[in-house]
Amino acid sequence: MADLEIRNLHVRIEEREILKGVDLTVDRGEVHALMGPNGSGKSTLANTLLGHPAYEVTEGSIKFKGEEIIEAEPHERAKAGLFLAFQYPVSIPGVSVANFLRMAINAKREEPIQVKEFRNELQHAIELLDVDRSFTSRHLNDGFSGGEKKRAEILQMAMLKPDVAILDETDSGLDIDALRTVAEGVQKLHSEQGLGALIITHYQRILHYIKPQFVHIMLDGRIALEGGVELVERLEREGYDEIRREYGAQPAAASAGGKGA
Amino acid sequence: MPDASTTGGGAAAANGASSTPNGAAAVAVKPGRHRESTLYHALHGAGAGDGRSLQELREAALAVYEHSELPVWRRSGFWTTSFESLDLDALRVRHHEVGAGAIPQIVRDTMPERPRAGRIVQSDGSVVHVELDPELASRGVILCSLEDAAREHAELFAQWYSKRLTYGRHKLEAANAALWTGGAFLHVPAGLAIEEPFEIVYAIDGPGVAQYGRTLIVGERGCEFRVHEYDLAGDFAGQALHAGAFELYLQDGARCRLAQVQDWGSGQVFDASTRVVSVGRDAYCHWLPTLLGGHLVRQHLELAVTEPGGDMAFRGLFFTEGQELMDVFAVDLHETGPSGGDVHWRGAATGTSRASFEGLIQIDPGAQQTHTYLQIHSMMLSPKARVDAIPSVLVSADDVSASHGGTVGELDEDLIFYMQSRGLDRASAVRVIVEGFFEPLLSELRDEPLEELVRAKVTEKLASAREDIEAYATSR
Repeated sequence: MADLEIRNLHVRIEEREILKGVDLTVDRGEVHALMGPNGSGKSTLANTLLGHPAYEVTEGSIKFKGEEIIEAEPHERAKAGLFLAFQYPVSIPGVSVANFLRMAINAKREEPIQVKEFRNELQHAIELLDVDRSFTSRHLNDGFSGGEKKRAEILQMAMLKPDVAILDETDSGLDIDALRTVAEGVQKLHSEQGLGALIITHYQRILHYIKPQFVHIMLDGRIALEGGVELVERLEREGYDEIRREYGAQPAAASAGGKGA
Repeated sequence: MPDASTTGGGAAAANGASSTPNGAAAVAVKPGRHRESTLYHALHGAGAGDGRSLQELREAALAVYEHSELPVWRRSGFWTTSFESLDLDALRVRHHEVGAGAIPQIVRDTMPERPRAGRIVQSDGSVVHVELDPELASRGVILCSLEDAAREHAELFAQWYSKRLTYGRHKLEAANAALWTGGAFLHVPAGLAIEEPFEIVYAIDGPGVAQYGRTLIVGERGCEFRVHEYDLAGDFAGQALHAGAFELYLQDGARCRLAQVQDWGSGQVFDASTRVVSVGRDAYCHWLPTLLGGHLVRQHLELAVTEPGGDMAFRGLFFTEGQELMDVFAVDLHETGPSGGDVHWRGAATGTSRASFEGLIQIDPGAQQTHTYLQIHSMMLSPKARVDAIPSVLVSADDVSASHGGTVGELDEDLIFYMQSRGLDRASAVRVIVEGFFEPLLSELRDEPLEELVRAKVTEKLASAREDIEAYATSR
């Protein structure tokens, strides 16, 4: 039994079908890369896995640790051990990073976390992500730069210790230093905590820092091609168009255009 | 949250008012002028206290009271606030004996235990408790009922009483001026700096009560102090009325932080109150009312800079629930310059409640070098709740800056989803959003017990609005 098991997943948003039968499994301790051009359905998959209300599952199943979760509320999925690092994290005015983390951690626990334990874990996480101590007293994502937002996502991931994390284009908009820090953070959580990761990306460069064991190429709402890290190199050489020609998917723009769908 | 920001600067005159009186009070006492008297005008200037005795003022007010109807405020095209459903004849001014036993339960349950400079509690028609730090008493601070002040501090009383408050605008204002009982008087001598707050409490201890509360506070030259007012009622069935009047005068260089917690419970408490703060030369006031609802609440709040160099921060928070109605008229008045103003209000509504807010910046001729800004942010937490906010600017000087902005928000589903994805359930996520929304003002209270009290009340209101908030999600 895989930890995260997606079978024949069909999803639509506002009457338009975006995912057209996705099959994918991610286990703890595995690193998967999900690649694909804009509009292929990568972010739709990410949002659907956490249960965004705008995305409607019309067919198929999502099992997490053996349980069907399609009907589960987003917070129940999070408590079960799923995590989504957002492509565009929203800001929460008036709530500090530290306070938000405390709330999120306590939401998963019976007893509130002890002050000292929380402080230690936070210290560990901010060292891992190479952020300044003052970072945690700022309002979450409020006025954060793109790099700070992405670090805050990984900081949350480090504190919440999910079993499987979906990283939705965490690499986009990062300079090389921020990219390295974020990637090293993910790598460390993977090796230290056995995190399973589904790294969604449009580009190859984050995969220079985190080596995936499995690579999936998504075209037009389906996984068109799967393999190992050699697929990344092939993509780098040939681009998506070549793969699309070979595997017969329709042009993405015709059916699933729009922002990050 | 959608961000609908407007900014109107300079000499814009966007108020619905047809004209502004120059310095003189715009008091219409003629019965037939009733409708005009309930327009959204600043009180602006001299009050009724013009040398007449208290007895004379009460008699004049009584005449207005007897000849006027219950007020109806109309903001053309936006809202109407009508007190016509108040059965005033059925209400009585109820008196209690002084003593600890007379302090209402709601006061015991609500007020934080904390160090304080003094406390005065009025239950229904009577002041039932007065305490003052003996050290402060020995240094000349006066805290007593306004009734006692009229007798025992006649000179101070005559100098300040009703200096900027009127009695002729509407029946409930007249009722207060004619019929007030109990009341609170605080006098802080020159140069004293007092860290802990003075607490002034008006409690309504059951239905059938008309409470005419009246507060007079004078801060002499260079003093510094805090005032926390509490307006409280339990959850009872039946009508009650609080018609309040409040005046605070800050002399040269005086500084005051004034906060108010108003929560009239779930009974049918009507509240029609007028509050005026006058900021003198180089004086400063930070005023932050937290208005947490009542059956029908109408507040006229006016913060006036009356001497050069005066500065103020006018904050406010309101949160209505159920079927409550609230009408707040907040005036940022600059009679002279240079002066500073900064008005920042935030309001939320659940249920089918309705909150109407008008913020008016008024800068008089000659109030040159005035710089002020008004912002009002509102958030609707249920599909049937409504918040209206109108910023107005009335400027009669040319070397000034005055502008306004604001946002109107609804619950942001992406924000809720974000927090849910971190393990918070929907109700918790909404609570975080609303607390975060109010946080910029709560932190400005700079008083931990008070912050905690307001936070707890916001949480309590959200818990009771849980169904609404769920309905909000499914309605979209």
